[in-house]
Amino acid sequence: MMHERVFARVAAVALALVMAGCAGVDTRDTPPAPVVTPPPTVSPPAPVAPPPPPARPPQPSVSGAWLPLVNKAEQATARGDYEQALALLERAQRIDPESAEIYLQLARTHRARGDLAQARATAERGMLFCGSRAQCDALRAFTR
Amino acid sequence: MIRTRHFFLKLFLAALVAGGLLLVYLDAKITSTFIDKMWELPAKVYARPLELFVGARLGPEDLAYELEVLGYRKVTKTTGPGQVARNRGRFEIYTRGFEFPGEKEPARRLLVELGGQRVQELTVGGRDIDLMRLDPVQIGGIYPLHGEDRVLVRLNDVPPTLRDGLLAVEDHRFYEHSGISFVGIARAAWRNMRSGQVVAGGSTITQQLVKNYYLTPERTIVRKLTEVMMALLLDLHYDKDQILESYINEVYLGQEGPRSIHGFALASRHYFDAPLNQLGVHQQALLIGMIKGPSLYNPTRNPKRALERRNVVLAEMAQQGVITPEQAKAAQARPLDLNSKARIRNSFPAYLDLVRRQLRQEYRDEDLTTLGLSIFTPFDPLLQRQIETSTTSVLDQLNKGGELESASVVTRFDSGEVAALVGGRNIRYAGFNRALDARRPAGSLLKPAVYLAALEQPRRYSLATVISDSAVKVAGPGGRVWEPRNFDRKEHGNVLLYQALANSYNLATARLGMDMGLGLVVDMLQRLGIEGSIPDVPALTLGAGEYSPMDMAAMYQTIAAGGFRMPLRSIREVVDAHGSPLKRYPLEYERTVSLQATNLLTYALRSVVREGTGSGAYRYLPANFDVAGKTGTTNDGRDSWFAGFSGDLLTVTWIGRDDNGSTGLTGGSGALRIWAHFMAAASERPLGYRMPDGMQTFWIDERNGYLTGKGCERARLVPFIDGSQPRQSTNCAPREGGVKDWFQSLFGS
Repeated sequence: MMHERVFARVAAVALALVMAGCAGVDTRDTPPAPVVTPPPTVSPPAPVAPPPPPARPPQPSVSGAWLPLVNKAEQATARGDYEQALALLERAQRIDPESAEIYLQLARTHRARGDLAQARATAERGMLFCGSRAQCDALRAFTR
Repeated sequence: MIRTRHFFLKLFLAALVAGGLLLVYLDAKITSTFIDKMWELPAKVYARPLELFVGARLGPEDLAYELEVLGYRKVTKTTGPGQVARNRGRFEIYTRGFEFPGEKEPARRLLVELGGQRVQELTVGGRDIDLMRLDPVQIGGIYPLHGEDRVLVRLNDVPPTLRDGLLAVEDHRFYEHSGISFVGIARAAWRNMRSGQVVAGGSTITQQLVKNYYLTPERTIVRKLTEVMMALLLDLHYDKDQILESYINEVYLGQEGPRSIHGFALASRHYFDAPLNQLGVHQQALLIGMIKGPSLYNPTRNPKRALERRNVVLAEMAQQGVITPEQAKAAQARPLDLNSKARIRNSFPAYLDLVRRQLRQEYRDEDLTTLGLSIFTPFDPLLQRQIETSTTSVLDQLNKGGELESASVVTRFDSGEVAALVGGRNIRYAGFNRALDARRPAGSLLKPAVYLAALEQPRRYSLATVISDSAVKVAGPGGRVWEPRNFDRKEHGNVLLYQALANSYNLATARLGMDMGLGLVVDMLQRLGIEGSIPDVPALTLGAGEYSPMDMAAMYQTIAAGGFRMPLRSIREVVDAHGSPLKRYPLEYERTVSLQATNLLTYALRSVVREGTGSGAYRYLPANFDVAGKTGTTNDGRDSWFAGFSGDLLTVTWIGRDDNGSTGLTGGSGALRIWAHFMAAASERPLGYRMPDGMQTFWIDERNGYLTGKGCERARLVPFIDGSQPRQSTNCAPREGGVKDWFQSLFGS
């Protein structure tokens, strides 16, 4: 547990290093926004490779397919129908399992219905897929 | 006199009351159960609906297969629901529509343009569609009798010639009479009298239905009277189409071993291997003829008699104007056209078994067979077809017709949904379900738990920690000594931690496990999702215990998901007979293992397939397609295991023999081949590389685990949890050049 907390603190810095790598790997959610920050001061000279081109062939964006579901889910959440909202978001996630945006919406919905543990776990997993600093920060906020 | 009269009056009144009560009772019985009995009796189990959207990965053959399983009829121009017109990658589909929980998908004419294994265009009437679902395949039902199966059909989907032919032969005044037919009874009596034996039954379709639903088959006058009364009541309460539809789905049409075949739709699949709406008139007539005596006119056992009966039916159909005399003549000239394979296609006994078990944890058998629940599952017919193909083709190469058995579990690990399942080599056989019930030692498939437990202690262990692969002896209870050996019977000296896993070294793993303590390994296995008993013995580090492929899937699911445990789900949602949601099985993540440690383990599991015991995978997979996995082999090659994942699918495969004999295979020469054959064809995404917070990569000399410079001899890029990188250094300065290793290429540099 202690480790994780320490990591979370160091995260902002250390993550920046690999951020470009992450962003390059999966750029489907948002336009690629590689964040370049100074190398961390906590560790020996920056060992990480420079921002790469994507290692995987780029996948076509399918956000057009699931955005309407996310919108419907937001409406369902607004009227307190969390079950429906979660069902819609899970369907969206099946269409695009690596979308941090959908994870974020799932986490928000879990929080809205009062399930903070689930909100946290969902956001934590979503962080594996976040592609922009804003998105990563929004997800990270759930894990604190 | 008066007394006697009173007595008869009383008797009469009593009979009247009793009769009235009986009538009320029967009426209640019918009205309370018929609607349910008709459609909703068994729980219906559905596959996942195929989601269509621009960009969805879908090949033309896959879409064609999905539509075939759904029973869409191939036409040149679609005119109604349930039809498809195809021109290469261009499909015009007139969808059937479906009432999904919470949303109705309308029937509509859809244009789907496929290209490059993806949906390129999706339109209705020239307008783009964002997202839509086909109707889901019904993969089975949960019926009162074990082994029963059924395919249900709506009256509208029954070919008109079949419906009218059925009425012509069985009950031509069906739409006129009121449940029973006096004309019919009189005519039957007349014909029976003339021939001196029972040649015709006077029962209407309504009576036959009542008989099948509510009554026992003995022939008594009381039973006959009850049947007549109930038929009248049924006719009173329900409209003719409901009754006919019910009959078409209920009628008994033969037996296949322990499985009885009810309903025309299932019979059509069974006898002709085709959906009902694709049968020719001659085939329809054969089924109609069988009602009179399903075993007497069984076309496989009594082909001659069945053919004669069929031709009688065709003549009757022509006589009553259902078809023209020319059509009848042409049809009479046709052979029986039976399905050559005597089995029901598109039945998935292993997966249904899994669904049934999950349901039984929460529902009573009685509810499952009577409440008319709809069960929506994540079963994917396309993945199922591929895993079956891979299993069969690899097993046939390994030992054709031999005794090797196999089982596989396929999950989509982002959601923990079980998408496909193979329970044995004989895929249609609903017997021993090895995926769920085999109890086998897991061999090296358990090793990742040892390494993961170690990597969770970054102060002590990293991927570059040196461990000794040298002889080890552990004293066990009763003075026995456990002395493991490597597969190649050699010792490999000092190796790095990831190398020990990649090459599946037993001595190094046993040492690592004993150094940490077995308690940590047991604890890790539990956190990963193993729920059964785990033996607390040194041999656990090398896979001791009894595990099913499903157990292994639960364990690797957690690893594939990055340290998040989630229940393996075979049900998404249960909906009651009226379409209201009863229960959803939600996606739930529980982080039970350190994200960073899991990421490190995944590095080692990639190394297994890139340079270790699993490198045979790349005989099937493209070189740039990243996957991670682990081989497992047990003593004398009794079990051959492989568990691994790409960017979307986790698959666990086992090969072994039911008699526990030797297979002569290792994990790499057996199960891995099915796994890789399947993944190469089915997986849409290679494994992505995502480093969680709190980690960095360093250049390491792979001979000693020292920090080194990029481009130095035997340098490789390895991830570390912050602060756990090696202290010692080779003092080699970074330089340009050198060959990129597989991990480095993940970063694209």
